[in-house]
Amino acid sequence: MTGSRDLTAQIESLINRLRRRQVVGSWSVSLETALLFRQVVSVTRWSQVGTLIKLVKDVGRRLVMAQPRELAVGNIVRRVLRLIRDVYNSEVSSNSVKSVPQKGGRLYELQSYGGSNSFMEILNFLTHSFSHLKPSIISELQEMINELENMYVNIADQAMEHIHSNEIIMTVGKSRTVEMFLKAAAKKRKFSVVVAETSPTYLGHEMALSLSQAGIDTTVISDSAIFAVMSRVNKVIMGTHAVLANGGLISVSGAQMVATAAKHHSTPVVVCTGLYKLSPLYPYDEDSFNDMVAPDSVMRFDEGDLIDKVTLINPYYDYVSPELVSLFITNTGGHPPSYLYRLIDENYDPEDTDI
Amino acid sequence: MAPKSTGKNIEAETVLQAVVLADSFNERFNPITLDMPRCLLPLCNTPLIEYTLEFLAVAGVQEVYLFCREHSEKVKNYVKTSKWNRSYSPFKIITIVTPEARSVGDALRELDSKQLINSDFILISGDVVSNIHLKQVLDAHRARKNTDKNAIMTMVVKEASPFHRSRALGESSIFVLDGKSQECVHYESVELYPRKRRMVMDMQVFEKHSDVQIRNDLIDCQIDICSVPALFTENFDYQDIRKDFVYGILTSDLLGKTIYCHMVKDAYAARVRSLQTYDAISKDILSRWTYPIVPDSNLQEGDSYEYMRGQIYKEQDVSLSRSCVLGEKVLIGAGTEIAENVKITNSVIGRRVSIGPNVTIDGAYIWDGVTINANCSISRSILTNNVVLEENVIVNKGCLLTYDVIIGPNITLPPYTKLTSHKQTSENDDGDISEEDESGNQKAASFDISNLSLTDNESSASVISDGSSEEESDFDGPTTLEVFSKEVTQTLERAFSEGHTVEIASLELNTLRMASNTTFHDTRTVVIPTIFGQINTDKLLPSTKDVLSRWGLLIGKLVHSKADQIDALFILQECCAKSEIHNKTFAPSLRILYEIDVIEEDAILEWYYDERSKGGVVKHEAYSKLRDAHESFKRKPSDWDILDFLMNVIRNLSSQRVGFYLTSLETIIKTEEGAFNVSVIQAFNASHKVSVGAQSGKSGIASYSHKIENISNGSISVRRKRTISQESKYNEHVTSSMPKKRNKKDYDIRDTDGSMSDDELPPVS
Repeated sequence: MTGSRDLTAQIESLINRLRRRQVVGSWSVSLETALLFRQVVSVTRWSQVGTLIKLVKDVGRRLVMAQPRELAVGNIVRRVLRLIRDVYNSEVSSNSVKSVPQKGGRLYELQSYGGSNSFMEILNFLTHSFSHLKPSIISELQEMINELENMYVNIADQAMEHIHSNEIIMTVGKSRTVEMFLKAAAKKRKFSVVVAETSPTYLGHEMALSLSQAGIDTTVISDSAIFAVMSRVNKVIMGTHAVLANGGLISVSGAQMVATAAKHHSTPVVVCTGLYKLSPLYPYDEDSFNDMVAPDSVMRFDEGDLIDKVTLINPYYDYVSPELVSLFITNTGGHPPSYLYRLIDENYDPEDTDI
Repeated sequence: MAPKSTGKNIEAETVLQAVVLADSFNERFNPITLDMPRCLLPLCNTPLIEYTLEFLAVAGVQEVYLFCREHSEKVKNYVKTSKWNRSYSPFKIITIVTPEARSVGDALRELDSKQLINSDFILISGDVVSNIHLKQVLDAHRARKNTDKNAIMTMVVKEASPFHRSRALGESSIFVLDGKSQECVHYESVELYPRKRRMVMDMQVFEKHSDVQIRNDLIDCQIDICSVPALFTENFDYQDIRKDFVYGILTSDLLGKTIYCHMVKDAYAARVRSLQTYDAISKDILSRWTYPIVPDSNLQEGDSYEYMRGQIYKEQDVSLSRSCVLGEKVLIGAGTEIAENVKITNSVIGRRVSIGPNVTIDGAYIWDGVTINANCSISRSILTNNVVLEENVIVNKGCLLTYDVIIGPNITLPPYTKLTSHKQTSENDDGDISEEDESGNQKAASFDISNLSLTDNESSASVISDGSSEEESDFDGPTTLEVFSKEVTQTLERAFSEGHTVEIASLELNTLRMASNTTFHDTRTVVIPTIFGQINTDKLLPSTKDVLSRWGLLIGKLVHSKADQIDALFILQECCAKSEIHNKTFAPSLRILYEIDVIEEDAILEWYYDERSKGGVVKHEAYSKLRDAHESFKRKPSDWDILDFLMNVIRNLSSQRVGFYLTSLETIIKTEEGAFNVSVIQAFNASHKVSVGAQSGKSGIASYSHKIENISNGSISVRRKRTISQESKYNEHVTSSMPKKRNKKDYDIRDTDGSMSDDELPPVS
């Protein structure tokens, strides 16, 4: 079938692009993944939900393996799986005699499509074709894609609640979410932003440029000045690469320093993030989700004699522990770190934590 | 022509093509490359070609032409089964086998004749490791083409420092750039020897460009964006893309084409050109300079590397014992088992390697399937696939053990040993079994330090320690000189048999001499003995008279000055010294040659007073110079470069280049600074398989001097053992002028018998 061949090609192409880092950034990665899964669900033929879940898991596993550092890929895969299960569960609950616990009620029950051992249900499960669920699954997926596409706007809409006039905001690195958030606030309020330059990537420079072009009063400070400036700052707003199950962040390197300084001065740290960045994985080791990039920016390659004798490590991300974060602003509203477990449970099925 | 705007559109739509030269056209990686083409050698457990193809895939290339020459079947099969041949491959890959191509130029001409390329293309060699975003370079190239219609090429260069580890020593180049436009206005390749002290540039360069940069700190990545390769066909003598093509284009007034450089500042690019760069680039990959092309990106299917703190990369299914210690920069492939108390640092370990207890490995490259038994120690060496080290083997730095070699137990390999399981193709003395052969199934083929420069410069002095190692030639086939002498002999024999006149014979000889780029001296060394060969030994004196009065004039044609005459006399002396019978002909011959005015009185006198003619201690030019150099001996960082160079000279000896290299060597000898120092001599010595046993003694040095003489006279012929050395007459000449300690009383016919006295010969095990 040409359709499935196309699909294989698409899957392989995404895998390769993930590997080669031709798609980077959590958001574009998630969007690509979601679009691919819409394709997977619609092109493949399946009658049993189990087959579909297995298929999605297989593809998902390969995507995750291709780029284990992009946690968003795994998150999207889990979202898709959850979505399929939900559609199936609601179908089963409306049809079968046996009442399957409703969405809200299954919080602590490890219940899923195969979880019940009722004979009737198994029989039902084995004989009944569920291919008629395809349209509803696809429409749910489409909803998810729309949600992804509107992510920035949804977050930026909340800016008014968090940024007040004449505040001094500190940010670190360059995050599109934060950028939109601040620009949205700047439409109505007047405040100033202090941007830490975030060496060695110096993403802060780009961020500052973009903010000042939008008419925001922007100051760039060197990273060493973060602690000194922190006493004057009202609020730290930063983006993140991923949010882990415990509420810890995988964020651009330098974020840990900003968050620690903020803690010292009791300055609130607000993290703007889309829900797709929320991962059910737990950081067992600070290095576990980090990425060591080329040490070029730390020491230039032409220092030939020196680089032979020195080991240079240039971690791209920092791990920021959950105690340092005051609030997460997601596309579904603001949540404290302690509430994340609930968000995880709402979004992902516990069975899918390990893909 | 179409209007510009539509032209641009077409350009954007054309397929981006790349030409990968999967053959290096040299033999740096011998003897590994006897079994495996260079582009498939594993670098950090991934075949080299993968890095290049990956790079092209990232650059968005849609069609790849892969040129291969040696082991083309292996390359083809590899490509066929690789992911690049799947339907979802980012580009179409076409393998082109060009067995007859001897150089890059040939390959490109072939490419042009096939009419495959229709727009700008990327020319890249199959051993590039790079993470450059080529798109920017391509865009820049296209933009330049719009402003400068004559722009035909953009070379990608990476800023580094002059002595950077990733910069291939001995193959650097100087780029002269226009500071603003980065136009390359002059290119000068820097061969190590002769050491360039000056560079000639056209004054126009300074008139045309206000800002000229002369740079010697660039890594030439050999990634070029070229426009249609027709220029190669037009210039059929271009061999090398840099030395010939770029230089030719830039120095040509007629073509009026321009070449640009693209400076890469914050990305990585380097080529695996030699073992030295193999080492350096492996380290660069492990220290993540090439990010995202790092092992834990798992670019190849089936890879499962994980990064661990301390730049340790470990694949799944590696079994590490509890007490083993992994230091920094270690990469371990799947299926490898590491036993107790093993220490590994700065190394790459392949797949399915088994490492026994108490093994120490530092800076080694261990390929797939190697077995290392207990208590071995390996430092800075390469062990290729399926090597087995039995217990208690110590592999010292710089060793190269190629496929399926088995060593041990209880053997210490001296530094810079190269072992292969191949029989050497040259005449190989099968009776010689070296120490390394104890395992019984090994033929230690060569003891050779050549260009295995995984090493520190300071280690050079300890190069040859093991006199018992074999002394064999690295040569396959005859040298140019041997060919030349054979041809000369044939010409002469024809002349003798067909009764040509002296004029015709001399004309033929001259033609031959020019064709093989040899000197008059070489010609004389062949001609004189051949003429003497005509003498009928039964009727010695009358025959001598006949032959010489007929053909002596031919010698005269080859003699132009007094120095020539003296030289001819030495050759004559040597020739006559060969046997008792010929001894008797010396005096008459001399008289005849004097009578027919071939040799003058002055020359004879000078010859007579020359100590060489008495068989005394040689006072040779080269010798004294060499001794001076020896005394002002200062080790320079470039010793190994010289060595590298020398080996290249020997390996790549092609007829056109001989003369050039020889002049280079002469320059070395003449260098006052002692750049040509002992270690080089040793190295050279080793490469010629002369034991170093006598290295401190006078005779040792003298023998070096004769090596050099050898070279400066135009031969790189190798002296092997006595038996072999009798092969060519030329060699006999060399040996005959070796210093003599025995002082023969017989001065009438100076004692210069062909065989060398034993005390000068290297001790043979």
